Amino acid sequence: MTQFDALCANDPELSELRTAIREFLAADRDQHGWEPAVDSWLATWDADFSARLAEAGFVGLTIPTEYGGHGLGHLHRYVVTEELLAHGAPVAAHWFSDRQFAPSLLSYGSDEQRREFLPVIAAGKLHAAIGMSEHDAGSDLAAVKTRASQVDGGWSLSGTKVWTSGAHLAHRIVVLARTSPLDPEHRHAGFSQFFVKLDSPGITIDPIVQMGGEHHFNEVTFDDVFVPDADVLGSIGDGWRQVTSELGFERSGPERILSTVTLIVAAIKALPDDADDGTAAAVGELVARMISLRQLSISVARTLASGEDAATRAALVKDLGTRFEQDSVELAADLLDRLDASAPEARRLAELLATARLHSPLFTLRGGTNEVLRGVVARGMGVR
Amino acid sequence: MNELEQLVADIGARSLEARQGRPAYPDAFDEQLWKNLEETGLSRLTSSEDAGPEEAAVVLTGLAKHAAAVPIVETDLLAVWLAAKAGLDVPETGPLTVAAADAELRDGSLVGTAYDVPWPHSVAVVFAARTPEALHVGLLSDAPTAESVNLAGEPRATFAFEVEASTTQTLDVEVADELTRRGAWARCVQIIGALDAARDLTVAHTSERVQFGRPLAKFQAVQHSLAEMAGEIERARAATELAIVAATDFGFNSAATDYAVTVAKVATGRAVGSVTTIAHQLHGAIGATVEHRLWLFTMRARGWIDDFGTTGHYARRLGRIALTADDPWQVVVSCPEPR
Repeated sequence: MTQFDALCANDPELSELRTAIREFLAADRDQHGWEPAVDSWLATWDADFSARLAEAGFVGLTIPTEYGGHGLGHLHRYVVTEELLAHGAPVAAHWFSDRQFAPSLLSYGSDEQRREFLPVIAAGKLHAAIGMSEHDAGSDLAAVKTRASQVDGGWSLSGTKVWTSGAHLAHRIVVLARTSPLDPEHRHAGFSQFFVKLDSPGITIDPIVQMGGEHHFNEVTFDDVFVPDADVLGSIGDGWRQVTSELGFERSGPERILSTVTLIVAAIKALPDDADDGTAAAVGELVARMISLRQLSISVARTLASGEDAATRAALVKDLGTRFEQDSVELAADLLDRLDASAPEARRLAELLATARLHSPLFTLRGGTNEVLRGVVARGMGVR
Repeated sequence: MNELEQLVADIGARSLEARQGRPAYPDAFDEQLWKNLEETGLSRLTSSEDAGPEEAAVVLTGLAKHAAAVPIVETDLLAVWLAAKAGLDVPETGPLTVAAADAELRDGSLVGTAYDVPWPHSVAVVFAARTPEALHVGLLSDAPTAESVNLAGEPRATFAFEVEASTTQTLDVEVADELTRRGAWARCVQIIGALDAARDLTVAHTSERVQFGRPLAKFQAVQHSLAEMAGEIERARAATELAIVAATDFGFNSAATDYAVTVAKVATGRAVGSVTTIAHQLHGAIGATVEHRLWLFTMRARGWIDDFGTTGHYARRLGRIALTADDPWQVVVSCPEPR
C-alpha cells in the first residue's frame, strides 16, 4: 500500500469496498429506479433502500460484529458514505441512526441497549431523529429547556424540539433534556439524553415545511411523556459531554463537502470534452476545491480514527466544506449556463439546481452554524 | 519536531534574525545561511544525500517559514538534478539555478529568452531550452540581458540566448515537463511555509495590538478572519501533502504526482490570495512596510505562486482532466489511471 493511496482513502481494502458499493448502487438503481438527488442525506427517505443497503452489508460498518455490525473502521464508513452521497442515493432513513446513534450507543449505551438496538441499526431498520435544537436554543444549545423529571420506573419528559429531520417518519428520537435545573455558573451541567419512542403517548409531531414546500423538519412536542429507565442513554447529568464529545466525525465527514456533488459531477459530465478555456478553468477551480477539501476531511478522519483529537480541524472542515457547498451551487449554475437549456439533460440538471438553491441556506446552519465553528477555530488558534 | 525539522528551524531562525542588519529591499543572497546549509548537507539534500521529497519538503517549508533568501529549490531540486540527467558537470558547491525557456532551432542554433530566472548570480546557470521535439540542456555563460526582482525583492533576470545546439545535451521533452513539475511542487511546499509564518505573525499581532481598549483578537470579526485564514492554509496544506506523498511514492515523473501537483497548485494559488489579504488587513498599514516582517512572507507567496505556471494554467489543466474523464467523481477520489 502506498502512502498516496492511504491519503486518498484508496488503499486496496478501501478500494475494493468502493468498487463494491458502486456496483451495488448501479444495480439497485437499475432495478428500483431511484433518481440521484441533491442533499440526499436530508432529502430522500426510502426505508426500503436503507434495508437493501444494509442487506448488502453497507450499513453499521463500524458496529462490532457481536452486535450485528461489520466491525470495520471509520475510513471504511467514510468511503461508503462518500460514494452514497456522490451517487445521490436515498439515505435519509437510516442516516442519523447509523451516523450518530450507533456511535453514542457504543460509547455510552448499556449492553442491553446495544444488544437491542445495534443489530436493528445494522439492518438499516432503525430510523432515528435527533432532538437537540429548540425555539430558544439554536446555536446556544445549552439554553435547552426541555426537562425530564424522575417518576416511578423512569422519567417524564416535557418540552419542544425543533428542526428534527424525519421525526414524522422515524421510530425513535434522541432527546437532550435538562435533568437538573439550570445553574448559571455551570450551564453545561445537568443535561441527559433519552432515546424516546416516537409513538409514545404525549408526543405531537407538527411539520415545519421548508421554502419550496418540502417537509423534512418537524416540531416535536413532549407533554409528560413517560420514558422508561431502560431508554436513558448514558449517564444522567452527562448529556452535554455525550453530545459534544463525538462532534468531530460529524463535523468533518463527507456530508459537509458533498451535499451538492451530484449536481457538480452531472454538470461537468454534460459539458463537451473540448469546452473552451474559460469553462475548463471554471471546472478546474471547482474540482480543485473539492479535492483539497476531501483531502483535508480524510486527514481529519484519519486523525480521529487513530484516537487523537482533531476538534479544531474538524470545525474548520465544516466551515470550509459547507461554504464550498454553498458556493458550488452558483458555480454549477454558471456551468449549466453553457449548455443548451432545452436539452433533456439540461432540464434535469435545472431541477437539481433548483433543489440545491432551496437547500443551500441550510448547509452552513445545520450541525452548528459557521459563525460558531469559526469561534471554535479561533479558540484553537489561541486567540479566545 | 523531528531532528531535521529542528535543524532547519534553527538555521532558519538565525538567518531571519540576521536580517536586521541587511538592507530591506531588494533582497540579497544570504551567504551565511548558504554556508550553514552546505555545512549541514541541506543545500543538496536530495541530490547527494539519501533523502527524498519528504525530507526536501521539510527543508523547503522550514526555510520558507524564515524567508530564507537562498536558491535552495533551484540548486537541489532543479539544477543538480537536471545537470545529472544531461550528464553535465556543475560545481560541487555554491548555489545554482536553471534558466528555462521555449526555444526555436534556427540554423543549428537554439534561440530564445528565459524570463524571471531566479537567483541569476548563482555560480552556474543551467539552461533548459525546450523545442517541440526535445529539451536542450547546457551551461549558460552569458551575463543576464536584464535584471529585476520578484514581488518579495528576490533577484530575477532575463537571459536572451543563442546557443549552438550541437554543444548542448539533448533530452526527451518529458524531462522539461518534469522540470516544471518539480518547480511547481517545490513552490507549493515553500508557500505553505510562508503562509504559516504569515498566520503566526497575524495571530501574534492581533493578540498584542490594542484598539478600543482590547486586543484586536477579542473582536469576533477579527476571530472570524483568523479562522478563515487558518482554513485556507489547511486546505492548501492537505493538497500539498498529497503532492508530497505522490512524489515520495512514485517520483516526480509520474501521473500521480502530475495530478497531485496540478491540484495543489490551484488550491495553494487560491489560498495565497485570501490568506495574504487577510494577513495584511489584520496587520493594518504597518504590515505593508519594509520595516515589518510580514511582507517577507506574503510577497514571497504572491510572487512564487506564478512561478512554473499560473494558478489559472493549472486550473485549466485540471478542468480538462475532469471534462475528458468518464466519471469526474473518480477524478476527485483519486488520480486517474494509469499512474
